[in-house]
Amino acid sequence: VAGLLASILWLTAAPGAKAQGTALEFAVKATYLYKFAPFVEWPPHAFPTAASPFNICVLGDDPFGVVLDHAVEGQRVGEHPIVVRRLPAAEPGMSCHVLFAGGSATQSPADMVRAVTGQPVLTVTDQASGSSGGIIQFILQDGRVRFAIDAAAAQASGVPISSKLLALALSVRR
Amino acid sequence: MRIKARLVACWVLAPAALLAPVFARAQSVQDLQQMSIGELADIDISSVTKTTEALSDAPGAIFVITHDDVVRSGATRLPEILRLAPNLQVAQTSASNYVITARGFSGNADAQSFSNKLLVLIDGRSVYTPLYSGVYWDMQDVLPQDIERIEVISGPGATLWGANAVNGVINIITRKSSQTQGGLLDVGVGDFQRSASLRYGGRINDDLTYRFYAKAFGARDTLTSTGAQADDNWSQRQGGFRLDWTPSSTDVVTLQGDAYRGSEAQPGAPDENIVGRNLLARWNRSGQDGSALQVQAYYDRTSRVTEDGGGRFGLDTYDLDVQHSFALGRRNEIVWGGGVRISRYDITGTPALQFSPSSRDLKLYNVFVQDSFSINRATKLILGLKLEDDPYSGLTTLPSVRISWKPTDAALLWAAVSRAIRSPTPFDTDVVEKIGSTTFLMGAPDFQNEKLTAYEVGARIRPSSRTSVSVSTFYNVYDDLRSIEVTPVSFIPLRWGNLMQGYTYGLEAWGDYRVAPWWRLSASVNLLDKHLKFKPGASGLLGVQQAGDDPKHRASLKSSMNLGRNVTLDANLRYVGALPDPHVPSYLELNAGLGWNLSKRVEISLSGFNLLHDHHQEFPAPQSNAVPRSFTVDLQWRF
Repeated sequence: VAGLLASILWLTAAPGAKAQGTALEFAVKATYLYKFAPFVEWPPHAFPTAASPFNICVLGDDPFGVVLDHAVEGQRVGEHPIVVRRLPAAEPGMSCHVLFAGGSATQSPADMVRAVTGQPVLTVTDQASGSSGGIIQFILQDGRVRFAIDAAAAQASGVPISSKLLALALSVRR
Repeated sequence: MRIKARLVACWVLAPAALLAPVFARAQSVQDLQQMSIGELADIDISSVTKTTEALSDAPGAIFVITHDDVVRSGATRLPEILRLAPNLQVAQTSASNYVITARGFSGNADAQSFSNKLLVLIDGRSVYTPLYSGVYWDMQDVLPQDIERIEVISGPGATLWGANAVNGVINIITRKSSQTQGGLLDVGVGDFQRSASLRYGGRINDDLTYRFYAKAFGARDTLTSTGAQADDNWSQRQGGFRLDWTPSSTDVVTLQGDAYRGSEAQPGAPDENIVGRNLLARWNRSGQDGSALQVQAYYDRTSRVTEDGGGRFGLDTYDLDVQHSFALGRRNEIVWGGGVRISRYDITGTPALQFSPSSRDLKLYNVFVQDSFSINRATKLILGLKLEDDPYSGLTTLPSVRISWKPTDAALLWAAVSRAIRSPTPFDTDVVEKIGSTTFLMGAPDFQNEKLTAYEVGARIRPSSRTSVSVSTFYNVYDDLRSIEVTPVSFIPLRWGNLMQGYTYGLEAWGDYRVAPWWRLSASVNLLDKHLKFKPGASGLLGVQQAGDDPKHRASLKSSMNLGRNVTLDANLRYVGALPDPHVPSYLELNAGLGWNLSKRVEISLSGFNLLHDHHQEFPAPQSNAVPRSFTVDLQWRF
């Protein structure tokens, strides 16, 4: 009974999903958050031990709700178990490998991204909710969830992205 | 009859129904997990949403049993899973057999009247038998874990689906093989039944996935109404496969098949053996403009043999269907198609029951067209017409008119008028029954179609994000229903006639309430009133009650809880009103299940069925046996 309540019929009513988007849209975005990982290289010090968790942080407003927990259920990044962390705002010392900047009343998504600039964190923002600035930016196009990649920022932050993922991007800033 | 493997919701959105490639791949988060990042980027979230909405907003009495519902029910066989649909009447009659119907007409075994007004499809393959239009439920099996969803329509679906979709359609859809990757071993041990199944799914390359499975099942005797062992134990083995090939972004090709063999004890008679196999190929092409084409062909073989010369039949079915859908202008969505089916049977009777002729080739042809016309943003008019050429009754016209009005996102009102028929079968026209050397009953070569004109009105309302309600009402007018007539002067042989008519009306309501993110409550109520009578000149033999022994009232209450991340607790209470004639008392029964994910790979579940009584009767004795309380412990290992 893994992935309970997972069917779309349920998702449609899933709480936490923002009203302007559909449940499936956010399910796809949630799945992306960990599916990006194999295409990104984190520096060795990002994982203290082989068993250290792979942290997906959702900062500020959480558009995914329980869908993200279901999406990562049973999944791993290499040997690292995936942990979803939800934080109200960027804070010093938080350990994130992927950071979704949801924005909040006190901190814009761009502020959240800036808070970890230069650290090996794959930042993700969502154009549909009016945010930008992340290394990866979700973009809705032709009814599909696509993304743009800021490869230069990725390189500068120490999380280089493989050409395979760049090839799937709508646009790449080098 | 039909390729409609995809979506019952064709009424609203037949074109989207055929956009299977993306839709079928994107059912749940679990499915998304299976996808590559390239596939994620290719999911059309808008069309899926549209289709999904269509499913819940379809202008008809449709109930959808989801994959999660199926798995959580703990049920191992199809008829038990179908109990989850509030718009179906399900009655277990022996260890292996069930009477399943919608909106009444469950039949009466004493009058040789059998439930025969449902169309049942498994992945687009029709499984009601053309020999008498009923379903051998003991011959239909699917791994519960492979079921994507089951769409249950109560009411006629004849225009799109075909002649036997009189009182309802059951459309069972299994998952694509890309959604069933990896291994699964499931062993269930219980006091009434045992089962073991093994499934393995793999990927040959990016475009080609497969699965195969094997299953063994056995159930012990039920009890007769007097409490004796009913000697109806049975066992069955089944295996099968499915291949899904996506040669391009617009094409999907599916090849699937099953084979099974079972043996059933029969009280006071030699065992009956059931054997069957089928092979189906389907090609879907979706165009850039939203059009869709589906071509499907299948072969199906079923046979039943009673040992020691107790009679047998073999039936080979060849079926070819084509369906095309497209948008015509901005307001019209057209779906049209046609098909041909050849059923070749050969019956070896017994001295008491024969068919004359004993073998035939039945050829059935159909063409249909449906237009879904948007009058304005909120209102749709759906006109359909089917022409069917039946081997016995010739050309029949099956029209339907349906209108839906969706004033807000939270409410949908619909109404429909449609016509459906049950066409004659060998059992109606060719049967010869003898007592000793005296012919007792004969089929009528001039047997007519049984006809239905159905008037339906319904609503689907979503008063809040946590609540959804569906209410359907119907007024069904039947004519030329089967009756038993006498030979003038000599009285026997009796003959089938078409001298019964009448009407039924009723209400089907169900709803969902999400008490909390982890707790869902569902409830349903069904009311049915039948008013049948004989036409002038009828014999009146065995009364109008031979058409069906149906409860006037049914109700259910279901609770589904997720206790933390790893534990599920389900309870399903059902009430079935008394059956009028022959009388069977009303009953209240409870199924309950506890599931526990020990780890990502291992799950154990405990299920209890019919917990409130030691045993209870669901259909009249002595033809039907009592259904016992039973328990199953089930261990599932994914590898």
